[in-house]
Amino acid sequence: MNKFCRLILRDIHLVIKGSSDAAAALLFYLLAIIMFPLSSGTESTLLTSIAGGAIWVAALFSSLLSLDRLFRSDFEDGSLEQLALSGISLETIVLSKCFAHWLTNGLPIVILSPILALIIGLDFSYWWILCLTLLIGTPSLTLIGATPAALSCAIGKGGVLTALIILPLMLPVLILGSGAITAEISGLGGFGHIYALTAILPLSLLAVPFLASKALRLGWE
Amino acid sequence: MQNIFNFLANPSRFRLFSQKYYSYTLFIMFTFIFLGLWYGLVNSPPDYQQGETVRIMYVHVPAAWMAMMIYLSMTIMSIFALVWRHPLADILSKCSAPIGASFTLIALVTGSIWGKPTWGTWWVWDARLTSVFILFLIYMGHITLVRSFEDEYKGARAGAILTLIGAFNLPIIKFSVDWWNTLHQPASVIKLDGPTIHIDMMIPLILMALGFLFFYFSFLLINVQTELNNRKLKKLFIQNFSVKH
Repeated sequence: MNKFCRLILRDIHLVIKGSSDAAAALLFYLLAIIMFPLSSGTESTLLTSIAGGAIWVAALFSSLLSLDRLFRSDFEDGSLEQLALSGISLETIVLSKCFAHWLTNGLPIVILSPILALIIGLDFSYWWILCLTLLIGTPSLTLIGATPAALSCAIGKGGVLTALIILPLMLPVLILGSGAITAEISGLGGFGHIYALTAILPLSLLAVPFLASKALRLGWE
Repeated sequence: MQNIFNFLANPSRFRLFSQKYYSYTLFIMFTFIFLGLWYGLVNSPPDYQQGETVRIMYVHVPAAWMAMMIYLSMTIMSIFALVWRHPLADILSKCSAPIGASFTLIALVTGSIWGKPTWGTWWVWDARLTSVFILFLIYMGHITLVRSFEDEYKGARAGAILTLIGAFNLPIIKFSVDWWNTLHQPASVIKLDGPTIHIDMMIPLILMALGFLFFYFSFLLINVQTELNNRKLKKLFIQNFSVKH
């Protein structure tokens, strides 16, 4: 456990030092949300109805953008290989990287979302369901994206290809997350969606470390 | 059973096997599809509500079954490839993907053509339609990923890993019509308490499904044959190159 914490601290340290683009991904989150009122008009009724979806789309893209570099920089400079040789299992390393990614990308998004919901015109009494869906959904986004991110390291190039592979896998999370908000606002109750959304997290937590480490080993073959 | 797996695990033996049986599967496929089309288009009654448009179903439903079945078989083969390192499983999984993507596209397009006269719209964002569309996108992502590797061995294994991640979509597709009560009608053939479809419509449906299944088999065999030939060609090229230089 101590090693696990130290791995996470190392990644957070890298983010603070600025050698990772986590801050840029957060800034992108803000920008992507601003796109919606600018592109679809500033009418408050329209904005209120799309606000939940807009925030979810922005969160998904921000996570997508930063996931491309989840393993890449460490993979390219060889530090990931050194870590794997140090006796810590690769699965643990993958999990710690995912957790660090969530701490630097998912958690700030969850914290920022109520404020942004105000800007974009979501009824403020629904902030709790927005935060709840994001709190459950963003770790799933990170975990689902981890394996394609590892595969993109094995190819040696990323960018559009990684996005193309990750996006369809993330769509169910997006549908359930924004669906919960819409259902809650329309009075149907969003918990049906939230239960399904919650089911994704343990499933991906179970499968992803093995598959992502298989993908990383494929890159070293 | 295990003997068959071991026997076909040898790539060159599989190549001979596929060369031998490819024409048989092609013949069976044509027979079933011809019979199915004849029954479906000529020898079956029109639906009392949908009229003649019900005949689209004889292509749409088997194609949708195949779209899911091929992904399921790809998932099983990927487990074989990753857990037991079966030398042919990842090739089979890789070669199934384009066929599965085609069947998914056929299911989507025919469903859309059927939906216009019946539902009055080409497309709705219903749970079944959306999840099948996501399946199509997953197939396309899989094909793109596999093609982007220069080394085919690595590409096939990467495809196997991605297949397992995408497999969560299968139960969502199968049960989407039961979990969400939206526009697409619930299952009427593959059900626990037996089919609720009339026998005259069941016959062409089953014949077409068998035809599509053998379409999958024959195209899988020819795809795998091509893949194995390509690998062998590359190996021969490298051998000759190192002898000369």
